[in-house]
Amino acid sequence: MKEPRDIRDDEIRVIGGRDDQGHKPQGWKWLLLLLAGIIIGIIVWKCWPTQPEPQNEDPEQGVFDPSTIPVEQPSVKLPLAKAEETGHAFVEISDTIINDITLRLYIPHQVSMSLHLGAIDRNDPGIIFAAQAADIRADNGGIVGAFVLEGEPKAWGLSKKGYCAIINDTIKVGVAENSPLFEEATEKRGYFFRQYPLVDNTNLVENEPKGKAVRRALCDRNGEIFTVETLTSESFHDFAQALVDLGVDNAIYLVGANAYGWATDSEGTRHEFGDLNPNLTKKWRNISYLVMRGKP
Amino acid sequence: MFKKYLVITTAADLVRIAPEKIVYISSDGNYSNMVQTDNETRLLTYQLGQIEELIDDQLGKISPFIRIGRGVIINRNYIYYINIQSQKLILSDNSMFTHTVSASKEALKNLKELIEKEAKE
Repeated sequence: MKEPRDIRDDEIRVIGGRDDQGHKPQGWKWLLLLLAGIIIGIIVWKCWPTQPEPQNEDPEQGVFDPSTIPVEQPSVKLPLAKAEETGHAFVEISDTIINDITLRLYIPHQVSMSLHLGAIDRNDPGIIFAAQAADIRADNGGIVGAFVLEGEPKAWGLSKKGYCAIINDTIKVGVAENSPLFEEATEKRGYFFRQYPLVDNTNLVENEPKGKAVRRALCDRNGEIFTVETLTSESFHDFAQALVDLGVDNAIYLVGANAYGWATDSEGTRHEFGDLNPNLTKKWRNISYLVMRGKP
Repeated sequence: MFKKYLVITTAADLVRIAPEKIVYISSDGNYSNMVQTDNETRLLTYQLGQIEELIDDQLGKISPFIRIGRGVIINRNYIYYINIQSQKLILSDNSMFTHTVSASKEALKNLKELIEKEAKE
């Protein structure tokens, strides 16, 4: 796997694998670093076991502190009542304060949900809402956890026990080590991804990662699916507690910090969050987005 | 043999162009501008680094492109004039089009050395 290829304004690079190392400042050092990186990458890749979804031997499981009993959640449908009233797709954006944490709620109306893999088309007016879904491994740029795109499995593994399954326009958000929804998504051209669990049946789920950042989550409250974003940097614990106090039944994490996305309100105004990383290079191919479009 | 094209696709559209029809591609924030030999300019909804990866993947060693700093990817076949002091790089086919691109002195010095080295090989 290639490393992200930064370039400075005083450098040139021949595209397509030709030898241009002699034209970079201290090029031999870069070459040595690149070779070392490739060798380490190959060793890690060879030694890193990959398992299908039902098995519980994912290499990243160690970073997760399981504290929940796996329970399959009942199916919930996207909210349709307001959709019928308004007649067009939009995202209702509202702010609220829970435990001194300002939360921005993105409540979609008249939308169908799916996943998108790779760079997203910012010019696509049909996308009402987009937010990064699954995490990407820092070592090889692969998708973290099981991932299904329109019935096609793209990644396997159980590093995170939260899941979201979108099958026949029905969405399930929940927590489970082994979920038959992975297979169901592959059989029915559905979508599936995994993330940190935050709320499981109204109970807070503790997670290993420390530190504070802008947090985002996909939530299910009384059958209504919406996303939440903190407007300040928060810990996993405080964010999950705020979601519990908000009355969320189930919630999983979405990529936080400066991960890029947007929501289009009822006036058709696009509200962007995060930023597009100019140094994504290869990794952008595995960036996944939770995408909401207007129902046909 | 099939002719090799560069294909740049988004959810909404697709651009398919022969590499020799591209003069240079410049960065425009989160987007890129592709300047063609027919003097048309097309806005691409990709960052320049992403375009570089597309070229690398699709064209490999037959790629005629060189990344110059953060700001521009040029077609080496159209390098006509380099002036380091004035930081000027002119891309031209000496017939239909001439485009001037600016770059850092160090980058142009590196480019000049590359072209000189290749001329001797």
